[in-house]
Amino acid sequence: MKRLALDELNLEAQPGAFAGTLMNSSRDLVTRVCQGDQEAFRLIFERYSRPVIAFIFDMVSDRELAEELTQETFVRAYRGIHGMNPETKLSTWLFGIARNVARESLRARMRASRQVGLEDESVIDLSDNEPVPVDRLLSKELNDLIRRALEALDEDKRLVFTLKVFQQCSYEEIAEITGFSLAKLKSDLHRARAEMRRRIKPYAGVGYEV
Amino acid sequence: MKCEVCLELLEEYIDGELAERESSEVAAHLITCASCASHSAALAAELEMFSHYDRDLEVPKTLWGKIAEQTVTPVVAPVSNSGFASWFAGLFRVPALGFSVATAFALILVAILIGSAYWQTRKFDDSKTAQGTGTAPKAVPAEIKNDRVDLPKVDNATIAVNQKHKSPRPAQVKHSGVDQSDLVSSDIDYQDMEDHDTAVHIEQTQNLLRSIRNVSVNDGEQDIDVTYDKALSRRLLNENIVLRRDAEMKGKVPAKALLSDLEPFLIDIANLPDQARPDEVRAIKERVQKTEIVAALIGY
Repeated sequence: MKRLALDELNLEAQPGAFAGTLMNSSRDLVTRVCQGDQEAFRLIFERYSRPVIAFIFDMVSDRELAEELTQETFVRAYRGIHGMNPETKLSTWLFGIARNVARESLRARMRASRQVGLEDESVIDLSDNEPVPVDRLLSKELNDLIRRALEALDEDKRLVFTLKVFQQCSYEEIAEITGFSLAKLKSDLHRARAEMRRRIKPYAGVGYEV
Repeated sequence: MKCEVCLELLEEYIDGELAERESSEVAAHLITCASCASHSAALAAELEMFSHYDRDLEVPKTLWGKIAEQTVTPVVAPVSNSGFASWFAGLFRVPALGFSVATAFALILVAILIGSAYWQTRKFDDSKTAQGTGTAPKAVPAEIKNDRVDLPKVDNATIAVNQKHKSPRPAQVKHSGVDQSDLVSSDIDYQDMEDHDTAVHIEQTQNLLRSIRNVSVNDGEQDIDVTYDKALSRRLLNENIVLRRDAEMKGKVPAKALLSDLEPFLIDIANLPDQARPDEVRAIKERVQKTEIVAALIGY
């Protein structure tokens, strides 16, 4: 599951990555879906479902919700694919939809949180963590650390950080997905990196100095 | 290239976003400057660390089925996919309309049955209402007609009569039309809800901080049970983070500032042990008093 974006989004640059989809460029697939080819949409799902669900999970930090929102993303994509700008990259377009779906869900969850009982234990509690060198952190601990640090970022910073660092999008693509200006996204990305560093460093300890 | 320029460009360099010329200049500087090279190596190491982030997340095998239900018909894997053979067989294929037609008839039949049952029920209710109140039942069939077909033709008199008799019909008339504004919230609706959310949140936080401010703490006393306040604070902290981000994004500076001020208090309370020592509670209490945060909340 590691490096979903690298595995999936650069697919077209990796001839033979998926034998079944070898001859299908994203643009071809979109054209075929518009012509009513249902199989083409299934191929799009196979190609992009992993990066999309990973991106949504990074945004909402909830496994089941990420699955539901991925479903919603692809349903919306299918319904809107006829209106897709042919100049837009399919991955960029899908991330744009996923971003909107995740954002709506975050708003709805915030409203619903009032109904949640007092036993909710989802608050970040780092009080017991002692600094540990990065290379000695078990992978689970490192994953938890990154997930919690990511969760603590504000939405815009989390968005640009996830798209750049985990999904390997270019600045231009991020600007297209988010609608942010280049200046804002650079500034958000820089701050997000600094915040992530600040949050991880005390627990990652030596071996993690920037 | 000077070091400060190099450091400023370093992230874009690592991200591969610099133009060729700038990129070469940074690369050349990194060869000659150990300090900047060390920063560059650290950034690369950081990226390497993030590349190991494993969400332990798989795409469920059932997900495509769920999506296909709402979009395409689930695709059954073809037995043979040889192009010419399937094309040739397709020429002689009879469209399978039988099942679709039968389903359509079945649905229509069910709709008629439900409709007639509903019609009977309504007529029974209306006649009861008419008997009970002594008013003329003539308006009702006309309204039912409107309810089913022509929404705009409901006259005020009919609505008035129905309101008088507390009939639920006008509400149904209102929602059966083309206007779906109740389904798609406008930005103003969202904004109202968000402002309301913030107001409710601030009121709840204010109550929590008041209870901390007013708690009596004496030296030598036993530990204080703060289980409830702690749990409440955890919930409020979650809300606070979401609302603060939202306020920041929307440029609501006063709300964002206030919510930012609240967070340290909520974190401190949330991190208290269930049985807190008097001095721990006193420290928070004194900070609440000193900073006059409760007054700020009331002001908001």
